[in-house]
Amino acid sequence: MIRVDPSLCIGCLSCSNVCPSQNILRTETVEERRIRWKRCREECDLCVELCPARALTLVPIDESAPEPEVSFPLVGCRICGRRYAPEPMLRRVEAALPKSQSPEWVWDCPACRRRAEAERTTGEMVAARRRRRG
Amino acid sequence: MAFYVDIRRCIGCRSCEVACERVHGGRGHVQVHFVGDSASVPLFCHHCEEASCATACSFGALFKEGERTAFDVEKCTGCGLCSLACPFGVVWTDKIAHKCDLCDGRPEPTCVATCPADALSTDFDLLARRARSRAARAAAQGGRR
Repeated sequence: MIRVDPSLCIGCLSCSNVCPSQNILRTETVEERRIRWKRCREECDLCVELCPARALTLVPIDESAPEPEVSFPLVGCRICGRRYAPEPMLRRVEAALPKSQSPEWVWDCPACRRRAEAERTTGEMVAARRRRRG
Repeated sequence: MAFYVDIRRCIGCRSCEVACERVHGGRGHVQVHFVGDSASVPLFCHHCEEASCATACSFGALFKEGERTAFDVEKCTGCGLCSLACPFGVVWTDKIAHKCDLCDGRPEPTCVATCPADALSTDFDLLARRARSRAARAAAQGGRR
């Protein structure tokens, strides 16, 4: 069966996506993401191999052990407040990007990033048009 | 090759969105955004030189291949880190990542071929030429249009 280190898990759902036997269950509400690893008897270690956080290991079946379960509150976007991702995922992305990019936009949801980009591009066009027309 | 947008020409018809969805099995990579009454802006992957999505990917599913930021679906686990790492919010994940592949294997990106307003182009020089001819027209008409 699968053992989970909840201090390493980032809540990304890779394991659930790659599991061929649907043994890793996910439930997501507006507020939180919950993952439960069923007592798995398959001879398969795809989830372990493909965990980006290396949070999973295979251990012998133990019928008395509870099925591991973790839940992550979703972080709210700085701009619109919509909850969009577990905090450990955002922290990991922020740490992976070069400081020179000052990646504080990680804390804005993708929809707000798109809106900002559209507004920036439009602002440039309008400014250029004003310059041309004096 | 990357592609370029002349948003002065974009008419907000969303043909690029539809064209992209058509050739990518209903999961498109373009979104047309409307900014007040002043403009419509098609948003898609910039194929960044230093691609954050590729930096965030743990399995090398996203990688630079010349100017393109390429995607290998076989390596993707759908973790969604790339979507969170994209500064423009144009990579999305639905058990697997979806992003612009510049219509790999086609002579040109389908959105570019489809755009009825000629707002999209793979030719950066075209935008420069258009800007120069606008300037020339303006000069011929006494400095103002």
